[in-house]
Order: sequence, then C-alpha cells, then structure tokens
Amino acid sequence: MAHHSIYIVLFANTVKAGTILLFPTIGEIFAERAGILNLGVEGMMLIGAFVGFVVAYTTKNPYMGFLAGVLAGGFASLIHAFISITLRGNQIVSGLALTIFGGGFTTFYGQKWINMTLTHTLTPVKIPILSRIPYIGMIFFNQDLIVYLSYIVVFVMWFILYKTRLGLNLRAVGENAKAANAMGISVYKVRYGWTFFGGLLAGAGGAYLTTAYAPFWLDGITAGRGWIAIALVIFAMWDPVKALVGAYLFGGINALQFQLQATGTTIPSAILNMLPYIGTFVVIIISSIIVKTRHIKPPKELGIPYIREEK
Amino acid sequence: MFYFEKRQQTPGYLKALIPIISLLLGLFIGALAILITGINPLLVYKGLFLNAFGSWYAFSETLVAAVPLILITSGLIVVFRMNVWNIGAYGQYIMGAIFSSYFALFASNGLSKPVMLTVMVIASMVGGAIWALIPTFLKIFWEVNEVITTLLLNYIALYILKFLMYGPWKNPSSYGFPLSKTFPDTAILPIIFKGTRLTIAIIFALLAVLVVWFLIKKSKFGYEVRVIGDNPLAARYAGISVNRNIIIGMAISGALAGLAGMTEVSGIVHYLQVKIGADYGYTSIIVAWIAYLDPLITVLASVLFGGLASGGYSIQITMRVSYGIVGLIESITLFSLVGAQIFLNYRIRWKNGSS
Repeated sequence: MAHHSIYIVLFANTVKAGTILLFPTIGEIFAERAGILNLGVEGMMLIGAFVGFVVAYTTKNPYMGFLAGVLAGGFASLIHAFISITLRGNQIVSGLALTIFGGGFTTFYGQKWINMTLTHTLTPVKIPILSRIPYIGMIFFNQDLIVYLSYIVVFVMWFILYKTRLGLNLRAVGENAKAANAMGISVYKVRYGWTFFGGLLAGAGGAYLTTAYAPFWLDGITAGRGWIAIALVIFAMWDPVKALVGAYLFGGINALQFQLQATGTTIPSAILNMLPYIGTFVVIIISSIIVKTRHIKPPKELGIPYIREEK
Repeated sequence: MFYFEKRQQTPGYLKALIPIISLLLGLFIGALAILITGINPLLVYKGLFLNAFGSWYAFSETLVAAVPLILITSGLIVVFRMNVWNIGAYGQYIMGAIFSSYFALFASNGLSKPVMLTVMVIASMVGGAIWALIPTFLKIFWEVNEVITTLLLNYIALYILKFLMYGPWKNPSSYGFPLSKTFPDTAILPIIFKGTRLTIAIIFALLAVLVVWFLIKKSKFGYEVRVIGDNPLAARYAGISVNRNIIIGMAISGALAGLAGMTEVSGIVHYLQVKIGADYGYTSIIVAWIAYLDPLITVLASVLFGGLASGGYSIQITMRVSYGIVGLIESITLFSLVGAQIFLNYRIRWKNGSS
C-alpha cells in the first residue's frame, strides 16, 4: 500500500491543481462562445486569489473567502465587458489592461499580506461509499467541497451548452450575432452575462488556489495560470468536458513538479518551473494544428464588437 | 437610453484630448486607491512627480527608463499596425540580454571596446529576433495564436535566465545571489552625461525611432503595413505578401526589444541578473496605444511613462508606497484609451422613452 500511496497523493494533487485551471478555462470557454475574448483571465484570477485570501483570513472561513474571490473575479470582468461590449473597444488590448490591472491591484493592496498564511483552509470531505472505491475513491472523492463543485460545474455547463435554450442562444450569439438579434435574442445581455460568468469562474480558480492549494499570499501567486487557461480553451476546442481533460493534464504537471521538489531532485528548479509553460506551448501548437486540419472553427464572432443598427 | 451615432468627421481636438483625459483618469483612480489605504494621495503624487521630473538627476533617471520603452515600443508599433499582437517583448528583451551577456562574459578576450559593443548589439538583436520569430512562424504555418505563444515565451525566457543565473553562469563569489560575474570594461556602454546613468543607448533609441518612422511613413514596407492593417484580405488581392511583412515586422520588433535588453545589462546593471526590467514589456504596450502607434509621439509617451516607472520606483523606497500603484494607473489609462476610441468615430445620442 505504501508503494501505491505516493501515486495516489500525486493524482489527488493533480485533481486539486487541475481545479485551479478548470474553473477559469470553463469560464473563458463560455465568454468566447458568446464572442467575447477576455485575455484578462490572469488578472481576474489574481484578484480572486487575493480577495479570497484576505476574506478567508479575516473571517477565518475559507468558504466565505472562496465566495468573495468568485464575486471579485466577476466584478473585475465587468470592466472588460463594458469596454468591449458597450464601447466596442479592442478586446485584446482591454483584456491585457485587465491583466495589468489585476497585477497592479494585488501588488498594491497585497504588500502587507505577503507571506501571511491561512489558519483555516478548505479540508477534504469524504463522500460516503464513492470514496471507498479503490484508487478512484481516494483520488476523486476524498477532496474538498469546491472540487466536488467543479465536477458539478463541468456537467451542468455541458448540459446548458448543448441541451438548453440558454446554450442555444449563447451559441447563436457567438456564431452570428446579427441573426441572433433578428431571432429576438439580446446580444448585449448574452455577452454581458457570459463575460460576467467567465469572471466569476476566473475568480473561483484564483480563490481556490489561495484557500486550498497554496493558502498563503505571494505577489503574482497565480504565476501565469490565467494564460495556461486561455491556451486550454483552444485545447478543449470550446468544450467544457475536454476542458476537464486539459486542466487535469496541467494539474498533473504542477503536482509532479511539486512532488519532485518536495522529495529532492537533481533537476534544477528553474527547469522544473519551466515545465508547465513548455507544456502549454507544445499543447497550443498541437491543438492549433488539429483545429486547423479538422476545420474546427472558433466561435465566428470571437473578438468582433456587435453594433445594433438603430432604427 | 443612449446610442452611438456615426460621425461624419473626427474633431481634431478629440484625438489630443483622449490620451490626456485617460492619463488623468488613471491618476484619479490611482489617487482613490491610495486614499483607501489612509495615505494622502497628493503627497504620494508630489513625491512621484519630484522623483521623476523634479531635478536634473531625477529627470535623467526618467530618461534611463524611457530608453528601453522607446526601443521596445518603436518595434511594437510596426507589428501592432498589422494587428499582429506581440505581447512577448519581455521575453525578447531577456533573450537580448542573455545573448549579449554571453559575449561579455565568455568571449571578451582581445576585443576592443567598439568591437565588443558592436558584437553585443548585434547578438542582442539576433537573440530578440529569434525569440520573436518562433511564434511568428508558428502563426504563419499553423495559425497558432501569437498572443498566447509570445506571452508563454516570456515565462520560458525568464526561466532560462533563472536557470543560467542559479546554474552555469552564476558568479561563484556572489554569496548565493542569482547574478553573473561583472562585465569587463570593454563590454560597458559609455555614459554621455557625467553624474547620470544615461549612456549612448539614448542614441540607439532615437535612431530606432527615426528608422521606424522612415519605414512606416516613407517606405513601401510602411505602405504595405498600412494596407495589411486596414484589410489583410485586400492586401492579399493587391499582391502584397502578408506573411513576408509580418516576418519582417516581428523581426524588427524582437530585435529592438532585444537591443533594449542589451542596453540594460551593458549600460545600467553591468552584469546579468534575474531581475531585469520586468515591466517594460507591458508598459510599452500602453505607450504604443497612447501614442496612436506613431513613432514620434512614442518618444514623448515613453518619457511620461518612464517618469511614472522611475518615480514609482523611488516612492516605493522613500515613501513605502507599493510599486503596484504604477500598474493600477497604467491599466486604468489603458482601459480608458481603448474605451474612448469609439468617440473618434461615433458620438453619443440620447433618445427619450422606451424603445
């Protein structure tokens, strides 16, 4: 058993680290499906991570912290929504501004929180029966409540996207905004709604990082995970279930990196820390080639402002 | 409710007003952010201003920060005009620093100063250009999104630098600090104003601006860049090689960012270390936008944001106000700039009642 336990820990940590990426990836998938490219994921994650940490620290309740981080990410996304939807601004630049904003905001207010550690973090809650399944139980069903929430989010969002009117409207807006408008769908409302949703989930990823995975505060603690999430959207080909695969793949790299560092290795830490970015780099190239050769198209309206004609 | 109505003509004053208002809005929101922490924002801004423009030395430090901004932004302008998004200036800057440092650290024997510096300049430009061309070819051959790849290459470059600084290039007598040996004198850029840190890099920067200005406004390349920016499909029909121009543009952009990295290690730090000019890559995106992608206005904008960076760095030390305030001000300015573009082509109209 002792021989196996190291792998179980590794895979359980894979799920945890993957959850940090899973939330923002799904959020960005839905924003992009609505036609809004939000490159501010890294900034929204940082804000979610920071607000989540501070609230968890002061209330001594990690769930409160997580919820606050989620909302903070959502509010941050509204700046991008206003500029790219109402003011029809350049989405690439506005998203970058949001990333710079998240960095500046958390560096500025985070100064006095650096190196502080949470006393109360998210703790595992065993699911009866399921957690007793050999291996699978220990890896997937001996986690904290937010990980379980992420399973539900994947399923619910898959269902919404393909099986409901809400999803139909969303896809209509992302594929042809003008036609969607003619069908009586409010393009602006759909885009605001899903951009906000994307912000909530980016906030969730950040808040999960600081309330469960790394319960302390460091400047720039998300370390580029927001960009990895954006790359995973392409890997997932805008599908929430494939996002799960991608997120766990990179969660695995994170977990492996952590385990190697903890057990002592001769591989220089700079090389270990480079792995997720090299991995993302390779994955984005392969995904792009697949997308190109299989003629899978990103949402047609992605990044294009919608202008409703005035009568 | 309000709606936007298309303008027949853009009023000239508006184009000048938008950057000014955006910067003021950035400063205003920044002031609110400072106020929340219980510090008087006016005192902070006074300190920032004096540390940026208050004396000749302060101003010279502002120019020291402006030089890499000018170099990087001049290059970014070329590609941004084609709607190619090079977000990787930071990585290209690091590669420029690494490539030029290699010669300073390991191949300086017997070379005179002019030769050495020339070699380093060329090496840095090659290093930066290589780092910019990797995502360019990926974009051209396989349509890999350059925003993500250039950004990822920033992190990869940073960890290559860290690997070198903690490993093979580490100075054995640096007491564990991640930095290289000090460069020989032949590898150090000469200072042009005594008592300051201003080197001949300022001449590189002005040359870069002139070259880019000429390329954009006077050459066939610049004309093609404009056509591609307006409509890449039309450019293709007109027989313009879009890919060729993107490759040239990205090579220029990467080379200039690389050169900026060289001027930092050779002109300012005099050795290679992990922390070099982390913010220039992002700040130059803002500089490019506030200058409407115009090379000459870039110089002015770079001095302004160089002052913000240099002043912000000083008040972090003297007043303990976090450097994060600079990022806050910059991002709000950029939001406002992007959001306000619509007013160049549209005006707000109000309509009564429901509709």
